[in-house]
Formats: sequence, structure tokens, C-alpha cells
Amino acid sequence: MIYGIRRILKYALGRDIAGRSVAVRPDDTFIVSYPRSGNTWTRFLVANLLFPGEPVSFANIERLIPDAEAQSSRYMKRLPGPRLIKSHQYFDHRYPKVLYIVRDPRDVAASYYNFSRKYRHIEDNYPLERYIGDFVHGRLSSAPWGTWAENVGTWMAARNGRPTFLLVRYEDLIANTAAELEKVASFFGVDASPGRLHQAVENSSADQLRELEKKEGGEWVTTKNKRSDIPFIGSAVAGKWKSVLPEAAVVEIESAWGHIMAQLGYHLVTRTPESVETQLADSAVIGKQGE
Amino acid sequence: MMQRLIRGMRRALSLHHPGRNLEVRPDDVFILSFPKSGNTWTRFLIANLAYPETPADFSNINRLTPDPEALSKREMARMRRPRIIKSHQYFDPRYKRVIYVVRDPRDVALSQFHFHRKRGLIEDGYPPEKFVARFVAGETGPYGSWGENVASWLATRENRPGFLLLRYEDMLEDAVRELNKVASFLEIPPDAGRIANAVRRSAADEMRKLEKSQAHLWSSTKSTRQDVPFVRSAQAGGWRTGLPEGAVAQMEAAWGHLMTHLGYELLLPARTMTGTTNFDSRFAETMLNGPSR
Repeated sequence: MIYGIRRILKYALGRDIAGRSVAVRPDDTFIVSYPRSGNTWTRFLVANLLFPGEPVSFANIERLIPDAEAQSSRYMKRLPGPRLIKSHQYFDHRYPKVLYIVRDPRDVAASYYNFSRKYRHIEDNYPLERYIGDFVHGRLSSAPWGTWAENVGTWMAARNGRPTFLLVRYEDLIANTAAELEKVASFFGVDASPGRLHQAVENSSADQLRELEKKEGGEWVTTKNKRSDIPFIGSAVAGKWKSVLPEAAVVEIESAWGHIMAQLGYHLVTRTPESVETQLADSAVIGKQGE
Repeated sequence: MMQRLIRGMRRALSLHHPGRNLEVRPDDVFILSFPKSGNTWTRFLIANLAYPETPADFSNINRLTPDPEALSKREMARMRRPRIIKSHQYFDPRYKRVIYVVRDPRDVALSQFHFHRKRGLIEDGYPPEKFVARFVAGETGPYGSWGENVASWLATRENRPGFLLLRYEDMLEDAVRELNKVASFLEIPPDAGRIANAVRRSAADEMRKLEKSQAHLWSSTKSTRQDVPFVRSAQAGGWRTGLPEGAVAQMEAAWGHLMTHLGYELLLPARTMTGTTNFDSRFAETMLNGPSR
């Protein structure tokens, strides 16, 4: 009963986490990705690009690009528009404009393992292969956001190709940050000079974010009260799974999601059936985004 | 604040309609479709199949196959299990057993056009092209556009266990054959008499008779125009005469690949596919082949 009253009050006061029920406005833009796919880095890049006068840090990122998964309904409601909002939700038809970051699920899985340790969701000795099974079958704390394939698949199937949807691969962002950020800038309607792009990239570098995490990690909503011996900012590289994941784990991911991975241009190493080859040709479809 | 307090009280007492926030149970089965795709007919078929002792009608259908948009959270929680739940939601990862009914979007649009007339949302003379433009943009209801709804489910679940895809058109052609698939999905013995009986009880004529006497009892038809029926033609291809070509072209341009994937032949293949080429349905289609094996 007490619990019920607390819930009513929390809801009435707007203290509930916005999450999936965030009230969406027509001029909102969402930065969406599955967790551990470069969303924080993208937030910094976009914030540094759009607000060049203000050094972006973990102390002000929740004001510049608030996290709907961490902030309350009231907080979200009080923000002036147009809002830029971070989200991990699978397809939501109300989102008017979406920048979607996708990352190789093998790297997502490896990164997520460390994150789950940081959040004390698993012990340090939790077997990695079992964790990958949990990851593929949606048994992690991320279950409300769907599995990686459900998250990516619903957005791509519903929105890819629309002018209001921009897909960016984390790997492309790593390999050619300024060029990808330029696409993002034009998606946001910003005519960014090379100098401005360069500055945003510099101010959002992995080293810079690591420095900021050291200073401000204890205060940021996402990292406070979590283990500080495991960093939130991970290795920030593509392909780390090759040295981290056991073969059986790679097989499990590729056999579950190989068709979508191939479609996104992620090279499969444990299977090369005909069907996957033909789909690879179609990755040109995705390449046309942003042009 | 006051409004949120009242809403919060209703929520605490579980008097609100849960809708998308329904608490899902692991043994729930969902009868799912975009609106106006044969969902009500499918509900009648399945209710009459699963509960042959209670002939389905408009006064009991919301209990036999509960609707989280029409019942309160409390009522939903008290339903006998396993629940067979009616839904129009696009993809939700919590729904593990789904019977998805898909219908040619050209017929869906026409049917929704008349349904919106029935509900007084549009005038009788509302231009169909204008309606279809809003339909394609997903602005005629809260469940995404037809393409978003269908593609979100097919991209994640097609050809996977726990997902049965039915085409409304196939059900019209041979309801017994399609209901046999449902019986096997629900692990109901495929008794020919039981299935034939369910099909007979759910025939369009039967449903029309029931609508005449019970429309005032059912959440979806009460307080709507009684001169426009809810159970309409129950046919496939009405769009050929009911929709102007411009409206058809809009839908084929937006969802051509997805329609082709589902076996719906396009009226205007060449003209609509150039210039306005839409990649989302093509992406969906390639993904729809399912996991690589």
C-alpha cells in the first residue's frame, strides 16, 4: 500500500523515469542506439558540434542532450524545444526524427560484458559464453529495449530510407569521424565548416572523454555509484571481439543474427552461406543513407 | 498536477486501460494485426475454436479474447490463463506467442476510411487521396503506419518459433485451412467438426446479424454511426473500385517491396518504383528471409 502511494505520488509529481513513455514533441530529435554502441560518444560529438561555445562534459550533457532512460518525466517536460534526446528504445512510431547508431553486435556483446560487471549485474567470474547466450536471447537488464537484432531490425525495417532517419555505423564513425559527423551535421541542418567539425571531433575524442570520466564519473547519472575500477568509456575501437570472444560465442551471435549483420556490412567469420552473400550485395542500400 | 494525481490514482487502483503498458505473462497469446485487417473476424474464429462451449458474440468477445485497450488493467489481470489477447501494437519484445494477421494495405486503407466515417472522424465527402496520404504517414491511428507495423513484426519474428503469419486473403479463400494452422499453433486438437463449427459461427453473415442486435454492447461500435456497419464487405480487392489510382500509387510507392514480399501484386510496378524508391521495405524484405541457416 505504501509502495502504491509512493508510486502515485511519484507519477503525479513527474518523478518517474521518462523512458519509453516520454512525451514526444513534433520538433524532437532522438539519438537512438542499442546500449554500448557509441551513443555517449555520439552525444558528445553532436553536442560539441551544435553548441560550440560550451565545453561539453558529463556535468552538462544531461542538459544539452538528456537521456530519456535516466531522467524523469518532469525533467524532460521542462526542457525547452527543440529537444535532442538520447534513447535506447526499439522502434517507437512517435519519434519524428532519428539518428540511429548501429555497432557490430560482437563488439556490443564484448563491451556489454564489462558494463554489466561495472553495474554489478554480474560477478567478475561470470562465464563469458553464458553471458553471450543471455545477450542473444534477451535475458539481460537490456531486455526492455529488445535484443540487438530486435532493436536494429525494427528501426531499419520501419524507417530506413526516410529523410527523417539517418543510420550511422559506429565503425564508420571510428574510421572517419569528421566525414560521418558531416553527414550528421547536414541531417541536423547545420552547415558546418571543416574547422568546426574538426573541433567537435577533438573535443569528443576517447582520451578527452576518459579524462572527463575520471573527473566527473562520480557525479554523472549513468556512472555514479557504479564500480569505478571498470571505466564506462571502453576501448573505443572496432573489432575487439576478435581477441575477446570465444569462437562458440561468435557462432551463437552470427547464427542468430547473421542475416542482419551481413545486411549492415559486418563480415561473418563462422558462416558464409549463399543467402548471406546475396544479402551483402544489398548493403549498398544502406550505403545510400545520408547522400 | 491534479490531472496526473487523478491518473496516478486510477493507475494505482488498476482502473486504467493498460494498452501498450499491459503486463505480459509468459503464456499469453496475441491476436495481432494492424487495425482493419480482419482482427475481429480472427478473434471470433479463434474464440469459437478455443472455447466451443461459449459461442462468441459482441457482448462476450472482449472477455473471450481480451482487449487491453478496452478493459482495465485489473480486468486484464483477472482473465483466465492462458489469455488470448487482441492487439494492434507494432513490435513489442515481450510478446512471445503471436498470431499476426496481415491484409493488403490498399484494402486496409479503404476499410479504415469507412471506419473513420463511422466514428465521425471524417465527413462522408472526405477525399480518399487525402486520407491515404495521412494513412501512409501513419497519422490515422496510434499504431504506426501499416508498413511500420507489419515490417516491425516481420523483421524480428517471421519464420521464427512463436510467430504465425496469416494473410486475411488466405483466410477468406479457405478459412478451414488457415484455422487448422491456428489450431496447431495453439496446440488444439485439429478436430474437423470443431474447426468447421468455429468457421460457421464466425461467418460474415453471422457477425452482421450479431452486430445489428449487439452493436451498442461492444466497445468498438457503441457511440458510433449506426448507418455505417463495422462488419463490412469481408472481401479482398475492394480497393480496385473503391480507391482512386492516385491513392493506390501512394501506398505502392511507400511499401511496394513489403507488399510484394507478402504476395500482394502491385498495380503500378514500374511507375511508382522509380524516383520515389523507398528503401525501408526493401531492407525489410531482405531481412525477412530470416536467420541464415
